[in-house]
Amino acid sequence: MIQVEKMAATGAAHLNSAKLNLGILRDFYRREFLECIDKCIGTKALVWDDGLTGPFGLIAEASMLKEQHEVERMFRLQSSGLPSSNVQNIIFIVRPKLGLMETIAQCLLNEEMKGGYVRKEFYLVFVPRKSLLCEKKLKELGVYGSFASVEEFNLGLIPFDSDLLSMEMDESYKECYLQNDFTSMFFAAQSLMTLQALYGTIPYVYGKGDCAKQVVDMMRRMKMEMGGVEPQITPQIDNLLILDRNVDLLTPLLSQLTYEGLIDEIFNIKNTNVKLPPEKFVSQEEKKNSKEPLPTEPKKFILNSADELYAELRDKNFNAVGAIVSRKAKTITAEFDERHAAKTVGEMKQFVSKLPHLQNVRASLGIHTSIAELVKEVTDSDEFLDSLRCQQELTHGIDTDKVNPYIEDCIAREEPLSKVLRLICIQSICNDGLKPKVLDFYKREIIQTYGFEHMVTLSNLEKSGFLRPHAARTYQVIRKTMKLIVEDVNEQNPNDIAYVYSGYAPLSVRLAQYLARPGWRSITEVLNLLPGPKVEEVQQIPMGLRKRRASVTSSQSSMGEQKLTLVFFLGGVTQAELAALRFLAQQDDGGTDYVVATTNIVQGHRLIESLQEHIEPVKLNPF
Amino acid sequence: CKVIRSYTLEHLEERAKLLEDAMNCFHRCKNEFAAKQTEEQVRLLRHQRRLEDDTGNSYADLSLQQTLRKLIGDGNHGHVEKLRKEFKVPDKRFWMLKISALAEVGDWSELEKL
Repeated sequence: MIQVEKMAATGAAHLNSAKLNLGILRDFYRREFLECIDKCIGTKALVWDDGLTGPFGLIAEASMLKEQHEVERMFRLQSSGLPSSNVQNIIFIVRPKLGLMETIAQCLLNEEMKGGYVRKEFYLVFVPRKSLLCEKKLKELGVYGSFASVEEFNLGLIPFDSDLLSMEMDESYKECYLQNDFTSMFFAAQSLMTLQALYGTIPYVYGKGDCAKQVVDMMRRMKMEMGGVEPQITPQIDNLLILDRNVDLLTPLLSQLTYEGLIDEIFNIKNTNVKLPPEKFVSQEEKKNSKEPLPTEPKKFILNSADELYAELRDKNFNAVGAIVSRKAKTITAEFDERHAAKTVGEMKQFVSKLPHLQNVRASLGIHTSIAELVKEVTDSDEFLDSLRCQQELTHGIDTDKVNPYIEDCIAREEPLSKVLRLICIQSICNDGLKPKVLDFYKREIIQTYGFEHMVTLSNLEKSGFLRPHAARTYQVIRKTMKLIVEDVNEQNPNDIAYVYSGYAPLSVRLAQYLARPGWRSITEVLNLLPGPKVEEVQQIPMGLRKRRASVTSSQSSMGEQKLTLVFFLGGVTQAELAALRFLAQQDDGGTDYVVATTNIVQGHRLIESLQEHIEPVKLNPF
Repeated sequence: CKVIRSYTLEHLEERAKLLEDAMNCFHRCKNEFAAKQTEEQVRLLRHQRRLEDDTGNSYADLSLQQTLRKLIGDGNHGHVEKLRKEFKVPDKRFWMLKISALAEVGDWSELEKL
């Protein structure tokens, strides 16, 4: 019997502090969710689809559910059935996926076999939406009638941090560009409507890319369906920028070089949680004292800006992290030493009051020193450095039209396929597609080395735009106009967003930067070269609700209030891009603050892997 | 897609047949590269089958590279040369493979010969 692991029980104080109070959104979802489960009266057990525990942990803590809402047990949905319990209601909370329906049916049948003294009621909640197919499947399996009710809970954008919202739909890019399934775009549009209901209509909407256009169109339709009922709130968000991942495929493929980006690349951050190998986190004394074997379970950490030190470190280039950590360590030691200086009772009291805070900082310093060591092991390795050098050559446009010797070697050494594919895709994009001869060479090498089954993966990459045959030259133009390559970046004290990739500025963030100043009109040429249509729309705000804008002169003299832009990434955003946007928001002359929403958080390996076709061959029968 | 489905078939001949169908489809939609690769895969499957008969080891579901590695490891250099010529394995990759495969099994005498 496995109980659902304890959900992330962090407070949400860090959500409230920001420019846009995302606590409101979290409370909104929490209220809706509680209403949803309070519909059934009596004690309950929640059965969670594994993919949902993480996101829900960010809205409602397990402890709260237990104390106030009669949730006695929580289980993980699995085909082995439910552990026995004597609750009155069992609520299944699942995503609308066909495979899960079979598991549910299995569980229900098991329960019926067991019988029991207490009559149980079953409920089903789909997140975020009911699906006709799933309901049909349940009917086919003969269990649909067992449910007292089938509901849906519309969880859209989940607040991750004070400036980050994610829908946690990991496959949205694949669905849109490979399977032509735009359901996730519908959810995106819907969650934007929810946002507008809470924070007011967003006056200016910009977008680039096919999916962006779709979302804007859907929003317009949804607005019409509401029949002119508009949220009566003064808009808190000034601009909405919707970017389709398709517009900038290069950025997520490159190795991120910020602290948080590297942690994500190496250890995969999931729902702000990261699991790390435990050896590093056992102190020397513990090692000596404890006779028990060292923990082998990966250790779990929550990474968000509630941790003061992490908030400072996360967006820094990794090369700058060491210096900050050691400086912090020194100040902390100094502050601890103050206790010797404290003579009067008053001084002592003051010191004691600071103590809990100091201890927190010291603990988090210890954690981050260990994490940084783990990261450094990887970044110092030859594989990492060589691959980085290769990436940098490619983005600079050096020899991109030939077979790259490093990639060739990687294949010959049978390095992980996703790494090889990632490099080839980078080359394809930086060369505006590969020459047929080069592309065929790579494909042949991959098929011969890794197996014929990867043929399907390769064709997936071609369909979704990562690999393509040679086309018109655009990358060089875009690179020059948007200043994507910046020489001499200062990694310690950056003066340009290019620091997040040590010399490459993410195109997506450049687009946001140009939109804020001097406006997209100045880069019309580039926008035309990028795929997909451009969207610019103004949503009328009733007079009474408009923000009181200071007159032009005064807004220039006093820097006035900053504008708030919501950037919505369709198809995923990387931690490094987030870092770059946060960097822009901190600039004094930027005049714009950013909040980011995204379908999911990506990095190169996850992106490529989501497009890989996993074929498990049946064992060949030798006769 | 026929390529994916072919992996669910248990019998070699059925699998090869389906791949040949796939090959014809690729030909029809002028995807010559894919057709060629599929054809090579069918040939590889047949080779692996024959090797299995000859040596008694199983080579099922290995890529060409893995097949070669296994053959080198077993010291079956005749077959290695044959496959290498037939599938036109680039020299660079082949020698890297050969050296690492020989080193793996500790076949130093064969390494000396190179």
